[in-house]
Parts: sequence; structure tokens; C-alpha cells
Amino acid sequence: MTLGTRIRTGLVLSPPLLWTIVFMFVPYTILLVYSFWRAQFPLFVPDFQLGNYRTLITDPQYLNVLLRTLKIAGLVSISAVILAYPYAYFLVFKVRRPGVRLALYMAVVAPLWVSYLLRAYTWKTILGTQGILNSFLISTGVLDEPSSVFLYNHTAMVLTLTYVFIPFMVMPIYAALEKIPPSLIEASRDLGEGAFATFRKVTLPLSLTGVIAGFTMTFCLSFGDFIAPFLVGGPDGAMVANVIASQFGAALNWPLGSALALVMLVLVLGIISVSDRFERLGHGRLE
Amino acid sequence: MKRTAKLTAGVSATAMILASVAPAFAGELNLLTWEGYADDSFVKPFEEATGCKVSATYVGSSDDFAPKLAAGGGVFDLISPPSDSTAPLIAAGFVEPIDTSRIDRWNEIYDQFRSGESINVDGKVYGVPYAWGAIAFMYRPDKFDTPPTSLAALWDPALEGRISLWDDKSAIYVAARHNGNMNIYNLTDEQIAAAQTSLVDQKPLVRKYWSTAGELVDLYKSGEVWISNTWAGYQSALLADEGIEVVEFIPEENAEGWMDSFMMVAGTPNAECAYQFLNMAISEQGQCGVANVNGYSVTNPVAARNCMSEEQFTALHQDDPEYLNSLLLWENLGDRLQTYTNAWNAVKSQ
Repeated sequence: MTLGTRIRTGLVLSPPLLWTIVFMFVPYTILLVYSFWRAQFPLFVPDFQLGNYRTLITDPQYLNVLLRTLKIAGLVSISAVILAYPYAYFLVFKVRRPGVRLALYMAVVAPLWVSYLLRAYTWKTILGTQGILNSFLISTGVLDEPSSVFLYNHTAMVLTLTYVFIPFMVMPIYAALEKIPPSLIEASRDLGEGAFATFRKVTLPLSLTGVIAGFTMTFCLSFGDFIAPFLVGGPDGAMVANVIASQFGAALNWPLGSALALVMLVLVLGIISVSDRFERLGHGRLE
Repeated sequence: MKRTAKLTAGVSATAMILASVAPAFAGELNLLTWEGYADDSFVKPFEEATGCKVSATYVGSSDDFAPKLAAGGGVFDLISPPSDSTAPLIAAGFVEPIDTSRIDRWNEIYDQFRSGESINVDGKVYGVPYAWGAIAFMYRPDKFDTPPTSLAALWDPALEGRISLWDDKSAIYVAARHNGNMNIYNLTDEQIAAAQTSLVDQKPLVRKYWSTAGELVDLYKSGEVWISNTWAGYQSALLADEGIEVVEFIPEENAEGWMDSFMMVAGTPNAECAYQFLNMAISEQGQCGVANVNGYSVTNPVAARNCMSEEQFTALHQDDPEYLNSLLLWENLGDRLQTYTNAWNAVKSQ
């Protein structure tokens, strides 16, 4: 490599590199440093100790919240797969007219252009005691009086988050299904396999990368969410991000908040690398 | 080289344009405060009279002041924390002493507030008392056959899913009184732990912890909540405007009182405008302003006398120092603050 090309490469690479350093590397380093500091009235003081991490392990409230967050994120991802896969399958294989397919695809993706806050808020008006769902159930005679079981609990959070993040599930699955050559499916049928066996042995394995990608995205997004607990979660709805926010806010314990944020970051990175491995394992392999 | 020069020229040109567009006002004031404390009804006239442009950011909890200042940035000039949250602000050097000789009507303010420990440290004054009130409780009279009189109602299984509580460390105060510990600002670790347990026991009965005035109003409006604590005078008035009747009450276990002071952020470049605002705040304009908008009692009884009707004066207990003394006025928690907030956070994450 001559000096000229080296400089040129450097110039091309430097803006993204600079961006990464300034907006990713530096903040995370600061977070790491903070996580060893110590809270002391009125604020916190520099230190090098593992007390914050010890608190996270020994005080049950943090493990509690972490498990709850994993549960919610898991439920959201599972319900999103269950809804998104058949929908994407239907779009790719059953809808023949490209215009209709595009319209149905956009019906899922378009809500992404509307503010997340607004979409989450909408669920409040649907699920509330005097909300649309209750009015409907009463007018159809299913219920005698409004029920309060729909809002301010975990179910409401899972429902809202599933709705909000489902486009991130539909998009990769749709892309994966669309890439499957029709000839493979035809070949399977020609060789005497039934529709279900073809799905199980050809379509599903080939679309698994999309499912894993969608699952990872949905999981990580809902894992870090803190609006849904605030809007539709009940008194026991706090998730990890809420606890981090309150450590940086009301509790004024930035060191503990930083430690918790780093634990969360490590968990998410772990999930991403595991899913990356799965994705590569399943890439283009048929039984 | 040439390119750099061009870029520099471009940047400075942009900066000049921005600079020339910016200040049509003599000064500006950025407030970090409660909803209603920068209401147009009295802030607009202030802006016209002084040329100081006021913009406000609202907080939902007493614990929002310190973190916002800790994050730095020099954004705010005046803040209005309540009496139990001033200690870390002063200790951390986030606020600067106030020259009370520049506050014309300083001596008219209730002595109790002026000399209170929440704003007086080492012989220096750090705040101008602005408004006060009770953290009362309220309920929907159409949902109760016998009106609730005790905090026990907030732990009544019959009211499951109809109870709300302020998302604030004051929940610890409420639970402690429910447990019979009336020294709510000097609780021992055991008493705080007991309060925490009571709040955890109460959780299945709670519909939602409210964090802003608007949220509590919504919870009552949509029929979700029948009983809760409240910033006395404020949310009940908002609900009355919506045609929903609620009744405020002070339970047998008493209620807390709060007092908000305006404090000057250390190193504010807008001290001139800040002093003008402080003087306005404790004049008739600011005092009746907050009384009319928020329904709170005010700290300058002389101004209140001048601008309130007899009826309002009595309703806000301005004539009745005994009422003020009967409340458990929020105290400076000092370095115990963290223990209180930590217990409340533990309740929420349970």
C-alpha cells in the first residue's frame, strides 16, 4: 500500500471511526469508570471498588427486575413470531398480486412512522376501564360491568410492546421467505413430499435466519424499553431500563445506574452473539 | 488549506446570523419547576414589564431537581424544589446564596419559612419561599358509602385496583404513618424497612403509581382510581373542571405539608432577571398567580391579603397559622435522603 492510498483509506474510514469513538467508545468508557465510583451524600465520589456490582447481586430487587424484564421481552418476542410468521408467509406465498402484497406489507411497516409514544398511548385508551375494549364487550353482552383486568399489568405491557415492535419481526421474516427460490419448493413437492413436510423441511429451515434476526431485534428492543411500563404497566411493571432511569434520576446514584447499564449491555451483547452463531449455523442448510 | 479557510468562513457566517437572530429580549430565564409555577397568567405580564423571556421545564417529582442539575450544562437559572429536597442541592453547590436585601418584601414572608432550615445553611439564605400546601388525600364520593377518614382505606382489600399513590419517596412517609411511626423525617432503618414492607403488601391493591398531576387527573377521569394522595387544591380543581367530583381530606394519621422555594442556580448568567422574577413571585402578581392556577397556599400573607377575596384567603388557610403548624411539614432529610429513595425504589422493583 502506498502512502497515498493509505491516506485515502484513512480519510474514508475516519468519519465513521471518529463517530464510533466519540459516540460509542467514549460514553461506554465513562460508564465503566462511573460504575466503580461510590455514592456519597450529596452526590458520588471517584473510587475503585466493586460495591455497586455487589449490590446488584446481593439486593434481590435488581435480580427481580432483571428476571421480569427477560420474561416480558421473551413473551413479546414469542408472540411477535407467532403473529408475524404466518402473516409474512401469507404475503409471500399466498398473495399473488404485487400491489396487494405491498399494501399489506406497508400496513405492518407504516406504523413505524408514527411516534412510538402515541402508539403506546393509544393502547391505554383501548384497554382502560372505560376504554374501547370494555365498551365493546359490554355492548355485545360479554361483560356486565367494565373490567379492569386489561390495563396496568404485564399482559398490557406484552400486548403494547408486541404491537410496537412487530414490524421488526415481519421485515426480516418476509425478506427471508421472499429469497427462497420457488424451484426448491416445487422440487420438494415433485419428489412426493406433502405441503406440511415441504414447509417443515424446506421453507422453515430456509427462513430460520429471518426468524432469528427478528427475534433478536424484538427481544433487544423490548428488553431495553421503559415507556410501556410507564404508560400501561401497573405498580409491578418496572423493567431494567426504568430502574436505570431512576438510579440516574430520583436516587441520584449514577455509579449504581452505570453498573446496571453495563450488566444490561453485556446481556444484550451476549444475546446478539448467540443469535449470530445460530444464524450462521442455520444459514442455507436443509435436512 | 483553502478548503479549511472556506469552511471556517462559512461557520463564522452562520454563527453571526444565529447571533443576530437570537435575543429580542433583555434577558432570559430558564425555570425548572412545577406545572403552574410559570403560568402565562402572571408570567406574560412579567415578561412584558421586564423584558426577561421566561421558559420553563416541568418536573414530576421532588427528586427530579438534583439529577437535572447534576447532569450539568448550565441550562437553568431558577429552580423551585420543595423543602425536603434542598439539602443535596445546597451541599453539592448547585445553588447559590440569595442576597435577601435585593428581595424587597422579604420580611413579609412567614417567619417560619424564612428562617426554616431547608433554605438556611451556615448563616446564608438559599431560597425564597413561594408556595405551600398539604399532601392531602382525596376520593370519589360517589364510590364510598362512608367517607374514608384514615390511611387504612389505602390498605383496604375492598378497594383493590382503585388505589393510587404518588410515585415519590413521600410514599414512605405515608406508609410509616400507617404503621404508627409519626416521626416520618427521622425514621430508623427498621421503621423504613417496615414502611417498605407495608408498601409491598399494598401493591396488589394499587392500580398505578401516579407521577404527574395530569396523570392522576386522567386516572380519576377514566374511572381507574377512586382514592389517592394529592397535591391539595390542585388536582381536585382540575377534576372539578372536568365535572368529576372528588373530596379532599386530611386523614387521622395527619398529612404532610410541603413548601417550595425558588432557588438560584450557581453561576447563573441571568441573575438580574432572576432577582426581578423572585420579587415578582412573592408580590401580589406571583402569589395570587400560583394561588389561582394551582390552588396552593402562599408564603406572603401580606400580598395574599391584598389580592385574595376573603373567601379564598380563608379557604387557603392564610389566616390560620395553626393549620400550617398542624401539618407534618417536610423536613430536610440530609444524608438520609438516599435511604428513603432507595426504599421506595425497592418497593417499585419488587
